[in-house]
Amino acid sequence: MNKTLLVATYEYKHHVAKKRFWLTLLLLPLGFAILILLSMLLSRSSYDFRPIGLVDKADIISLEPDNSAKSTFFNPQIYLHTFPDEAGAKKAVETGEIQGFAVIPEGYLASYQLDYWTNKQPAGEVQSKIIGFISQNLLAAEEADPAILERLSSGNQISLESLDGKTKSDGTGWHKIFVPILIGILNLIVVMYSGGYLLQALVEEKENRTMEILLTSVPPREMMTGKIIGNLSVGLTQIAVWALILFAGLIIFSDRLSFLADIELSGSYLAVSLALLLISFIFTAALMATIGATMTSIQESQSVTGLIVLPMMLPFYFINVFISNPNGVVARLLSYIPLSAPLALSMRMAFTSVPAIEIAFVFALLIGLTVLMIWLASVAFKRGMLQYSQKLSLRSLFKKEVNHA
Amino acid sequence: MSTIHVKNISKSFGDTQAVKDVSFEVNPGEIFGLLGPNGSGKTTSIRVILDIYQPDSGSVEILDGPMTDEKLNRVGYLPEERGLYQDVEVNRCLSYLATLKGMTKAQIDKTLPAWLERFDLTEHQKKKNKELSKGMQQKAQLIAALIHDPEIIIIDEPFSALDPVNTQLVKDLLRELRSAGKTIVMSTHQMNQVETLCDRLVLIDYGKVLLEGGLSEIQDQFRTNQVIITTASPLPEKLEGVAKIEPMNGNFRLSPAEGTNAQDLLGLLVNQGVRLNTFEVATPSLDEIFIQVVKKG
Repeated sequence: MNKTLLVATYEYKHHVAKKRFWLTLLLLPLGFAILILLSMLLSRSSYDFRPIGLVDKADIISLEPDNSAKSTFFNPQIYLHTFPDEAGAKKAVETGEIQGFAVIPEGYLASYQLDYWTNKQPAGEVQSKIIGFISQNLLAAEEADPAILERLSSGNQISLESLDGKTKSDGTGWHKIFVPILIGILNLIVVMYSGGYLLQALVEEKENRTMEILLTSVPPREMMTGKIIGNLSVGLTQIAVWALILFAGLIIFSDRLSFLADIELSGSYLAVSLALLLISFIFTAALMATIGATMTSIQESQSVTGLIVLPMMLPFYFINVFISNPNGVVARLLSYIPLSAPLALSMRMAFTSVPAIEIAFVFALLIGLTVLMIWLASVAFKRGMLQYSQKLSLRSLFKKEVNHA
Repeated sequence: MSTIHVKNISKSFGDTQAVKDVSFEVNPGEIFGLLGPNGSGKTTSIRVILDIYQPDSGSVEILDGPMTDEKLNRVGYLPEERGLYQDVEVNRCLSYLATLKGMTKAQIDKTLPAWLERFDLTEHQKKKNKELSKGMQQKAQLIAALIHDPEIIIIDEPFSALDPVNTQLVKDLLRELRSAGKTIVMSTHQMNQVETLCDRLVLIDYGKVLLEGGLSEIQDQFRTNQVIITTASPLPEKLEGVAKIEPMNGNFRLSPAEGTNAQDLLGLLVNQGVRLNTFEVATPSLDEIFIQVVKKG
């Protein structure tokens, strides 16, 4: 009977029953929520969101300020109030009713010079709010098309394309990076946690000599595959729970996260990204298992684990390269490395169209490397697990006895 | 037909030759002693038998053929270095290891309580392994080796960390298993246990077989003409037909002169008026044989 499932089930239950699993599962999203909340609080405390005043001496304001948007904790609004004269506006500043006021002088249309009166440095939003309102009024006086007004207020979008048409990039679609980054972070966290569990479990089994019992009960390949599947399932459980929390958060705060509505996710994009994530998990788990089987202590293995994180982080460092040249050498190279591939290919696909043949090549490469890594892990497992006091060198994994594993 | 047939196995680790051309057979239903000093190659031989290591040359037949995944379930193994999940409860750990040996949950639920009871671990079954004493851990490890009712039991130092009461418990159990037809390979340094339990043995040192055979056969092979006597009166300093007299714990060990055997010596002692309480042909202890063979080795 194949014992892979028995090993996988035990590994899964063993980790899920641990306090550490639940703490990670719940505290991580809670930590993120607290972090976001804290940054909002900091933002709120450092900015003045009180209304601003406007005194029109040039007689160019004909529209009423639009203060209809509701100001909330998550989406604070700076309202605009018009005052007939400076004295009234000054009094409102003194009473704290408004944070400051702008005066449109009589010669404004010649000088385009505004005066702003306040006791405190205004936020950038204050200036854009006043200028935006004045522009609206000037255009309204010219009886401009409302669609043009809307287009002017939302700005331009520039698409970049190389002369041969192979490289395309939407330089302004910054929000497209949201999904790949999310995938990258998930990859990093889950691989580190579930891969970390696996590595720790193997080193512990080696340290406490349980391995010799296991080796006389389960063939090495079934043992290793079971451990990888079990620990992978722990990671996938974490992702599923976090995805549910994220989904619930998106529903609850949908009106506050309007920029997310701009993100277009195709089914194939999601499928490719998730499949890459899965292969990367298996590859990294097998890599961790290989390290676990060759190391002699947990401390030693932890220091090596740190090195695995580096290639996983590389696409984050080269994020500008991915946006400006998603089909360039760096972006392509990082798509072919198993540890960086989920984030790299996902980012490229977000900013350009990656040829299907290349996606197929990356998948074939990663699957091949993953199978090789699982094989290597089972060799290391059998050969290294009984070497209690000495490390197993990489070279020795490929020596004569390899064919017996 | 032997249960285990080790044929000329050799195994090296780098420049170290751990086992060199070792051969022996273990018969069904016997307790077989695998003896040797520390570092002699016993554990390597066991690992080769269990297919943990592949031999550089030679082969092992177990239950009429090479080791297979299916045969792993028919073998129980107690390694020299104890290995249990330290952070896991005793019953959970043993249940898991039993499932890896092919037992169903129903079988485990039926069998495990009896084993825990027999080894006096019932009240400790919810404790983590690390909370058990060394002796208790040894008993739990024995349960892991035996719970699936294996046909072949390979035990390395089974009496390690056990007090006399538990040592007796394990000895009785091993005899019981032998009576039930199980084949047992026991590796130990405790020669007195080998003497009282083993039917046959092999002695290896520096990876080579120095001695193999039945216990009584080997003792006969090393038996001298020496006799051990206890007397009702003091012995004279010189006796006819005796080359050497050695007092030992109230007894005397007599070495017959050349050309005299034990039977002759008995007559000579009686004729010389020695009042004998006991007269026994000296049988060399396994300890003595072990030291003698290893020193010669």
